[in-house]
Amino acid sequence: MLSKLLKYEIKATARIFLPLMAVLLVFAGVNKLISSLSQNQWQAPEIISLILYITILVGILVMTLVVMIQRFYKNLLTDEGYLMFTLPVKVWKQITSKLVVAMMWTIVSGIAALVSIFIIAYDKIFTEQFMGAFKGSYIFEYFNLTTAIFILEFLLLCLVSMASNVLIIYASIALGHLFNRHRILASIGAFIVLSTASQILFTVVGYAFGSMYSSVNISSIQDFQAFASLVHSSMWFFIIFFGLLSAGYFALTNYILSRRLNLE
Amino acid sequence: MSTILECKGVTKAFGDKEALSDVNMNIDQGRIIGLLGPNGSGKTTLIKLANDLLTPTSGEIRIAGMKPGIETKKLVSYLPEKTYLNDWMRVHQIIELFMDFYKDFKPEKAYDMLKRLNINPNDRLKFMSKGTKEKVQLILVMSREAKLYLLDEPIGGVDPAARDYILETIITNYKEDATVVISTHLISDIEKILDHVVFINNGRVVLSSSADEIRNEKGKSVDALFREVFKC
Repeated sequence: MLSKLLKYEIKATARIFLPLMAVLLVFAGVNKLISSLSQNQWQAPEIISLILYITILVGILVMTLVVMIQRFYKNLLTDEGYLMFTLPVKVWKQITSKLVVAMMWTIVSGIAALVSIFIIAYDKIFTEQFMGAFKGSYIFEYFNLTTAIFILEFLLLCLVSMASNVLIIYASIALGHLFNRHRILASIGAFIVLSTASQILFTVVGYAFGSMYSSVNISSIQDFQAFASLVHSSMWFFIIFFGLLSAGYFALTNYILSRRLNLE
Repeated sequence: MSTILECKGVTKAFGDKEALSDVNMNIDQGRIIGLLGPNGSGKTTLIKLANDLLTPTSGEIRIAGMKPGIETKKLVSYLPEKTYLNDWMRVHQIIELFMDFYKDFKPEKAYDMLKRLNINPNDRLKFMSKGTKEKVQLILVMSREAKLYLLDEPIGGVDPAARDYILETIITNYKEDATVVISTHLISDIEKILDHVVFINNGRVVLSSSADEIRNEKGKSVDALFREVFKC
């Protein structure tokens, strides 16, 4: 059932994001074309197309946030919720499908933004040097198991913190739903409370964690070994912290939507 | 005959206002029940509780012996009084959605009814009138072979001609062992198909009786009795 929910969630969101991204890439191309025609001079068409491009780029970034909130709130907690919550599907699967698709579009629109920037910045000399930095240069000499693990840890950290950012919004909307009136206002209040509480928790736990490593100071090459292990353990500290935070938000959302649901 | 829907001391409060107070009732399998009451009497609240869309303040509801949840959602086909359809979909897409999630959904029935009511499966829901959307929803709900149909105001927003067809659809589409609960205040239109009536007022059940009993013993139509009980 989760795969079916994902299918419908992707269908419902793709019709918004795919055209936006297509327009973004087209405008990046148009920009490139116009700027390569006019030499070194800023002309009106160039400026206009650049402004349009930036507007679309910002628009996509804003849309990922808006759609994330709207898909959760509108699809589950307004009239559409009458359909979603009478489907014979567990509530955690509903939340998971929304979460996975929200994260997917965040990543995809990030990639689209990078590609569009690359299109605009494309320049023979620049690109050759840029790619040259990868090809046959020092960079791969440093690439070993340790760096691979670093990259993996970093990607994992990105995913977990992204999940916690989405789930804090879901949890806030769910908390707002507990009120009989002014639910949207209550959701905003819940978001402020949750994010403040999480930050305080982060500071306290982070301070305790940091004090364990206070003895590390880097003054010689030997200290670098200790430094690497510090980076590893900090990475894992962040991963576990955001992972637990996400789990907490998820559990809270799931509890409210399955035990305290009161659709208007 | 076994009980399909059971309410034990069901109370639901919104803030300090009680929408339902201590509702007790048993509904047997294989019947058509009219849940009748004026606006704001608690009909919708009761149906929403049975669908797990509201959490009771106290008491419990059981459907086929189970608390509302995944298992009961497989048995219950629910028509809400709201339009819950995703605007961006076309009719055939929402039919596919029902096929995907409900094992008892019969698409051929749905397409057949769409044809009868002149609704094009390729039309977008966005551009449909409220009445047409209600027809689509009813078609979806009646195309399931469910054990219990909970229909909240199924005929409220449609024209009289479609009303007859819809009632006919309700009667002909449900199987012997299935139960249909129809909530409405348009009693005269549905009176002839009801086996049993439950009157509800201010969140309380004020009368529960078979339709024949009302007609034979009280010598009145359900509609006339309703007007008497709920006289303003």
